[in-house]
Amino acid sequence: MKFGIFYEISVPRPWGPTTEYEVYQNCLEQVRLADELGFDQVWAVEHHFLEEYSHCSAPEIFLTACAMQTRNIRIGRGIVVCVPQFNNPIKAAEVAATMDIVSGGRLEFGTGRSATWTELGGMGADPDETKKTWDEWTRIIPKMWTQERFRYEGRAFSMPERAILPKPYQKPHPPMWVAVTSPGTELDAADRGMGSLGLTFGGFQEQEKKIAEYRRRIRYCDPVGSFVNEQVNTVNFLFCHEDNMYGARTGQRLAGTFNYLAEQLLAARQAYPTRSYPNLGLLPALRREATSSPEGQIPEGLCIGNPDRIVEVIRKWEAVGVDRINFLLNAVETVPQAEVLASMRLFAKEVMPKFAGSRAGAETASVAGGD
Amino acid sequence: MPLVGTRPAADLASGPLVTAPSAERLELPGAGILQLMYEIDSAAMTSLLPPALHPTIPPTLVFTITKVPGGPFGPFVLAEVKVGSRSGARPRGLLVRGYCDSATAIEALAGRWGYPLSLAECAFAKRYDRVQASVVAGGATILDVALLNPDPISGNDVQYLANLNVARMVREGAEVARLIQVDPDYAFHSADRGRPLLGAFDASAWGLAGATPYYPVSASYCVADITLPEIRYLVDPAKNPIAAVERV
Repeated sequence: MKFGIFYEISVPRPWGPTTEYEVYQNCLEQVRLADELGFDQVWAVEHHFLEEYSHCSAPEIFLTACAMQTRNIRIGRGIVVCVPQFNNPIKAAEVAATMDIVSGGRLEFGTGRSATWTELGGMGADPDETKKTWDEWTRIIPKMWTQERFRYEGRAFSMPERAILPKPYQKPHPPMWVAVTSPGTELDAADRGMGSLGLTFGGFQEQEKKIAEYRRRIRYCDPVGSFVNEQVNTVNFLFCHEDNMYGARTGQRLAGTFNYLAEQLLAARQAYPTRSYPNLGLLPALRREATSSPEGQIPEGLCIGNPDRIVEVIRKWEAVGVDRINFLLNAVETVPQAEVLASMRLFAKEVMPKFAGSRAGAETASVAGGD
Repeated sequence: MPLVGTRPAADLASGPLVTAPSAERLELPGAGILQLMYEIDSAAMTSLLPPALHPTIPPTLVFTITKVPGGPFGPFVLAEVKVGSRSGARPRGLLVRGYCDSATAIEALAGRWGYPLSLAECAFAKRYDRVQASVVAGGATILDVALLNPDPISGNDVQYLANLNVARMVREGAEVARLIQVDPDYAFHSADRGRPLLGAFDASAWGLAGATPYYPVSASYCVADITLPEIRYLVDPAKNPIAAVERV
């Protein structure tokens, strides 16, 4: 089991002249501490226009700053929106390769397509097209990285032969992932030999079935990259405290705030009738889990409470086949920074050692990636 | 925390008086539902909504015209323009004022589900190249909408907002404003999607002065059996979103 942290970078109103600066500095401080404590990865989203919920529209810059302030932690683009109105595949390949070089080969490359009308409408993207362009880009970007010169004539993108430079530091290229939000996308990941990037959640039993099917399907995959990245990465909330009830209450406040903010946005499906978006917006299953427990009970799958409880929860995730867990540490600064840092320290001291063996195992088991 | 509405609750005190909210479900079979969504100018992002509701990001209007071919109230056309919003974390459409062409339907929908309706001429036409609807009140066209070039999709791909109807209820002997939550069920027979076209919209006639739709989002036309629900939740428009929801 590997542990990481996951950033939406949510910024609370009222927005003063330094609010965004302060939130970014808090995030960077957390990343530096995560690196010291032995967390394996830091992921940052690409979102646009999502007031309060996410002010992380240039994750490549944030993650480069993370890389420059740390030594070991891997940096995850979670994700590059593979939609031409948001990005360009050549530029996405170039930026990723540059990040991989300056970080000394620490890039994890996540792909996806955006899930809100707020973003798709704002960028002028056609919701019916996003899955198709994502599919096309995920097949050409690794070739841009590995072929000396690249040319392509496709459906939504074409280019004459050029040398796309620089090339990634990791050879043949960084591990590739798919953001899994809609049901069935984990199977898209498996069929393409990509890691399942943990926006899935839900009950342990449901997750176990999905992971088993992912593992079964990936054995017969047609990999888009030069290697198969068979890994299941999931997302969770973290608040670890000696006092279980205080930890749980604070963690539930964090989860509830996150959920509340996410619901204010306009999911693609709510605005535009399309088969392309069968699910409701951002991290929907995680949001369901955060609010689905009976009154007075701690939601079973969340990593909140004291270290013993969190160890128990992670053991269950491990048992159903999850390889990595990424934690959301805060939402609109609901939890004071000092408490976030203390939670991370306690987690690293009391919880991470319990999984040290399995972490080494997971490293060995992961199919030849970039690390 | 997210933005909340700034509209005075007193501004929403003219809805129908509901003394016996519906305790039963009621089916309206074979209804044709034309729905358009437009983004509106953010200048009205909070001024259309009371403090109990958050605006969506971006702010939106939803135009829904429903043609009911028959049933317990006879045939009628119901025209609504709703403000996209959130009651806490739940997606809702605020209906301040709507129109209907049947006095019988108005009486039932207002008295039991709190629909704030006035009598008007409502036209609804389904053609192969378009579905169009219009509302004429006091001799003026206050709404003219259309879906152009309908293309079949699945009813499963269409999502409707639950209504919050502006109404009045009696509390401690006094009539007070309440938003009545109406969340119908839909059993779809067919669904189409097309290009939205807003030909005319008089915001004031819908109690939405200042709403300026400027960016078309989507249009759908569905035929469905609609089941109006029993009333279970109300919203006190004056309270903050966390404290505003009441159970019937």
